[in-house]
Amino acid sequence: MRVVALISGGKDSTYNMMCAVADGHEIVALANMEPKGADELDSYMYQTVGHQTITRYGEAMQLPLFRSHIRGTPRLQSKDYQVTPDDEVEDLFDLLVDIQGSVKFDAIAAGAILSEYQTLRVLNICKRLDVQALTYLWQRNQRELLQEMIECDVIAILIKVAALGLSPQKHLGQKLADIQDHLLGMEDSYGCNPCGEGGEYETLTLDCPLFHQRIVLDEVETVVVNDDTVAPVAYLNPKRFHLEPKKGFDGRQSQFACLQKYLDILTVSISRSIHRKGLGSCQNFNE
Amino acid sequence: MVNFTIDEVRGMMDKKTNIRNMSVIAHVDHGKSTLTDSLVSKAGIIAQSKAGEMRFTDTRKDEQERCITIKSTAITMYFELSESDVQLVKGAEQINKEKTRGFLINLIDSPGHVDFSSEVTAALRVTDGALVVVDAVSGVCVQTETVLRQAIAERIKPILFMNKMDRALLELQLQQEDLYQTFARISESINVIIATYSDEQGPMGDIKIDPSKGNCGFGSGLHGWAFTLKQFAEMYAAKFGIDLEKLMNRLWGENFYNPKTKKWSKQKTSADEMRSFNFFVLDPLYKIFDAVMNFKKEETDKLLQKLNIELKLEDKEKEGKHLLRIILQKWLPAGEVLFQMITLHLPSPATAQKYRMEMLYEGPHDDEAAVAIKNCDPEGPLMMYISKMVPTSDKGRFYAFGRVFSGKVQTGQKVRIMGPNYVPGKKDDLYEKSIQRTVLMMGRNTEAIEDVPSGNICGLVGVDQFLVKTGTISTFKDAHNLKVMKFSVSPVVRVAVEPKNPADLPKLVEGLKRLAKSDPMVQCIIEESGEHIIAGAGELHLEICLKDLEEDHACIPIKTSDPVVSYRETVSETSSEICLSKSPNKHNRLYMSATPMPDGLAEDIDSGEISAKQEFKARGRILADKYGYDVGEARKIWCFGPDVEGPNILMDVTKGVQYLNEIKDSVIAGFQWSTKEGVLCEENCRGIRFNVHDVTLHADAIHRGGGQIIPTARRCFYACVLTAAPRLMEPVYLVEIQCPEAAVGGIYGVLNRRRGHVIEENQVVGTPMFVVKAYLPVNESFGFTADLRSNTGGQAFPQCVFDHWQILPGDPLEANSKPSQVVATTRKRKGLKEGIPDLSNYLDKL
Repeated sequence: MRVVALISGGKDSTYNMMCAVADGHEIVALANMEPKGADELDSYMYQTVGHQTITRYGEAMQLPLFRSHIRGTPRLQSKDYQVTPDDEVEDLFDLLVDIQGSVKFDAIAAGAILSEYQTLRVLNICKRLDVQALTYLWQRNQRELLQEMIECDVIAILIKVAALGLSPQKHLGQKLADIQDHLLGMEDSYGCNPCGEGGEYETLTLDCPLFHQRIVLDEVETVVVNDDTVAPVAYLNPKRFHLEPKKGFDGRQSQFACLQKYLDILTVSISRSIHRKGLGSCQNFNE
Repeated sequence: MVNFTIDEVRGMMDKKTNIRNMSVIAHVDHGKSTLTDSLVSKAGIIAQSKAGEMRFTDTRKDEQERCITIKSTAITMYFELSESDVQLVKGAEQINKEKTRGFLINLIDSPGHVDFSSEVTAALRVTDGALVVVDAVSGVCVQTETVLRQAIAERIKPILFMNKMDRALLELQLQQEDLYQTFARISESINVIIATYSDEQGPMGDIKIDPSKGNCGFGSGLHGWAFTLKQFAEMYAAKFGIDLEKLMNRLWGENFYNPKTKKWSKQKTSADEMRSFNFFVLDPLYKIFDAVMNFKKEETDKLLQKLNIELKLEDKEKEGKHLLRIILQKWLPAGEVLFQMITLHLPSPATAQKYRMEMLYEGPHDDEAAVAIKNCDPEGPLMMYISKMVPTSDKGRFYAFGRVFSGKVQTGQKVRIMGPNYVPGKKDDLYEKSIQRTVLMMGRNTEAIEDVPSGNICGLVGVDQFLVKTGTISTFKDAHNLKVMKFSVSPVVRVAVEPKNPADLPKLVEGLKRLAKSDPMVQCIIEESGEHIIAGAGELHLEICLKDLEEDHACIPIKTSDPVVSYRETVSETSSEICLSKSPNKHNRLYMSATPMPDGLAEDIDSGEISAKQEFKARGRILADKYGYDVGEARKIWCFGPDVEGPNILMDVTKGVQYLNEIKDSVIAGFQWSTKEGVLCEENCRGIRFNVHDVTLHADAIHRGGGQIIPTARRCFYACVLTAAPRLMEPVYLVEIQCPEAAVGGIYGVLNRRRGHVIEENQVVGTPMFVVKAYLPVNESFGFTADLRSNTGGQAFPQCVFDHWQILPGDPLEANSKPSQVVATTRKRKGLKEGIPDLSNYLDKL
């Protein structure tokens, strides 16, 4: 299928793209929602920190990137979603309608793992656009996922922390592989989600096997939102960054070929995914 | 020579009706250890001539040097009752059917100084009866009341002994009627305490002290003589032909005898009529005192003949006090009297466990273990409570000392060792291990013993490494814990320690672990700043702990900081607004407020009158009736804290909030945390009621997990406290000082300098002594004893007992106020950020 991948810049949407490619689909475009007027909106739907770097994702992956601003607000906060004017969900819908005008696609890929709130909204959009949803990560075991992402060379750093046990000074900017043990320990002691599904932390992907060029951060600024001693909230604002060519990539490889090395892991991963076809999942819990 | 063998003792252990487990309790210096000596000497463990001087149960070198008991010491003894006395033992469970004359006495001598009250608590838990010793000269003192109250709360039956009669006669030269009045007053005061804290209709029945029943003894532990009215009634019963019990009744209280007409009356109508107690009991004693002390040789001989006392040749040479002592020891041997009092008036385990079970066992009162405890059944599952750890000669190892309530504990037996945090069905704080050895505690020695059946006290080898201080040992898979002891004192004084040589740190840590084991109450804590803290009940307690740490446990030179007291954080007003805090992901909001508890509620929670374990409707009723809380709200207490039973409450006053139950556990976790480490300087909170007014939550469960809610709840609680005029509370001692009148002025001076104030000043009736009672902040009490001594020429002796918490005047948020200085130093000591965090850290805007 031809797939538009919803990307936030985080590790989950990146890894979900890899799964989709490994499963035989083709990514034809990237879609991203961009904050307006602020770096962090605390949106219910979209990750916004690190939005500056997304501008270069299209280049890095050699794909068309479509972006639009988040104009709406989370107006309907119940779990289920009905079409609500001026809700932030409608902004995504509008963007995808736009994309349909220039690129033909049959499915959208989203990296939600456990958030019913987000998944139900994506499904709502899919239904209205009559396309399928590909959510390979849906309801997967977070420990396994984290391990797979690390093994598949998804290079992502913590860009925001907001939970008990994560400190801005220590953990911001750390790579997944470096912080894995700590995250697992936090799950044992406080019941945190190791993949940050409860909003404990957010990540920014700097490199992955699908990237032809990697992103290098030259200068970042730490913004402390709340200097609490226990659960401080802070994020990184990328100020300057550039793309760096990767060895062995000349821009001619197919998406599938890029994943050659990781197919074993990804095949297992896809087989673990309970909803290969995405949409099925959604209907399941709509009932 | 010890006049019994271990085999005899082991034989007696199976006769649960012929056992008495008892502790000796009293105010400091009222003569517990000295009196205990007379029993020990009767058992042949020490020579009679040494009794009263040796203080056999003071086993430590410093106890002997300072003449003060520090650790409670247990000793097992075996005695036989005379044929005639056996008939006097009443109650089916008090003596076996064969009327065996032998009795096994397990005695625990406890310390009298308030700082060591936790040792008394530990002793009371494993015994069923208590011998309360009162100095007839000083009367009932503050610690007498404390320990007696504790005994009654544990359902321990008391008997009374009025000690130091020799001083009343020789030093104070009291007249007979005055002495009678002193005795009457003491027994009256004791009965007032008993009546206040017990219930006549309670399961123990009437436990009042009544000399005419024989449950009150008189005498001198130092001189080794004692009597109850029974001894004198026996002497006269034959002569008058009156029944023993009737005669005992006549020998006490308002009963008068006219020796001329030989008539009894209930009122004194003429000078010839004399109070029967004075005439029949005191008069012979006074005659002996008079004859011996005034060297009236002939009269002495006459009296000796009359009393049928034959002196040994070498004793005849003696004069004065020495002779007096020998005569009285022969006539009224203290050991025998005490033994009779104990066997006749204290309950056997078979009797006591019937009514103690419900106080002891946490599990359902009809399960296998509960029934076995109730029946003191040696065939039932093993249930044993370890009340303290006793150091062995092997450094770093301890005997686990405790009481077998049911079943049998034996060498090599595989048992479940359950610590205080064990919850049935879970694996925490639970070990299954074998008992290496069981031993009998014999004062300074131990004796190996194969097994110990229910109703007895013993020590275990090989379980010390699995328990911190106390615990339950059982063979029953579904056994619940035996209740944890509640101490009457709290560790309010603390010092920081560090090794003089930094390389010795591991030794210090190991030593602290041992110290924590060896004392029932001391707390050894590591602060976040890395400091090692020892917390104890008072200056003396700390001094002993530090000495033990340095000399016995760590064996390294140690540097000690100045003592510091712990504070409590509270609020003085209702929060100025309903505080809002948002979760880190901003998608959950909590709305709460804080308000001070009504006066007395925090104390009621401390005492357990109002507790987390109560049925919620009953608790709601008390809160509504006594404290004017809204019944509906009072029923919706989420929890108490810190540590689930502390004096702060969290109330749910929300109206129909979605998903509220899902986050309840997280909010409670935040509550426990923030009441344990308050916002001002991370001290415990006290007397704060928190209300949850409203919450708005993310619709998706994944976004309202513990990681989001716990820190938010904590921030919200902090905001509540900061907006409710926070205050610091400091601990206050009740000080009781005994001194002659001339020294009273000096006491006032010292107290004034230390922010103390006198609440009561009384003359002890019949003596020139004064008793001054005062409140003194613990923080001002360091060096108080020494200061007092030097200002009163060494005539005033204080006893400090922790009494209550009091607000330290001033606003901690205001710079340079007294509380803000305390906060600053405490924060510095704990390695916290300087200054109380600003409200904006915790309070969010919508």
